Amino acid sequence: MCTVGGGPDLGDLESLATKDYICSECGNKFKGMGKRPMCPSCKSRKVKAAS
Amino acid sequence: MQIEVREDNVAILRGREGTVALVKALGRSFFLDGPDEEIVLFTDPEDLIVASSFGVGEKVEKGLICTLFQIRELGSPLIVLPKGHKASPRLKTVVSLGERTRLSCRIQPGTHPEQDVLCAAEELDGLEIVAVPGGALIEGFEGQVHLERFS
Repeated sequence: MCTVGGGPDLGDLESLATKDYICSECGNKFKGMGKRPMCPSCKSRKVKAAS
Repeated sequence: MQIEVREDNVAILRGREGTVALVKALGRSFFLDGPDEEIVLFTDPEDLIVASSFGVGEKVEKGLICTLFQIRELGSPLIVLPKGHKASPRLKTVVSLGERTRLSCRIQPGTHPEQDVLCAAEELDGLEIVAVPGGALIEGFEGQVHLERFS
């Protein structure tokens, strides 16, 4: 994707294949994509997909 | 060709019209921020952060390394500007994150849903960079690859 240089070449963020997560440790809710999800707030890997 | 890229290395691909630099993502998380939304990008340790610029020379390489440093070491978010934003054509560096990056000079705004495509100079069109353990596999590149210390 083009990002730092790239609004022009990236579609809408809403179109990306993201998942909603919730951290089991701190309760932080966030949207993410990729492997090995981790809470961006407390760095815990104890996260699960939000229903 | 396959190159070794250690975590304290930056690999620089020097073309005649464009330059590409890459480092290992080290399994860190990165933020992709738009006007209304933030997405956390999770990576594997072997994944790559690839930055591309339309230009060559020392200034361009310093700019690419600076961009990669800001993202990986300082945790700077990747900013996505709204379509049509006046700053878009002024930006000098584009970045891709993940296991595989394909460079293309034929990207049209908003026309490619693939998230592993990165715009680049015409001569680098078709170049593919794939993360492999301890390094990167680079296909479709005839130029020189330089390894430097990333610090």
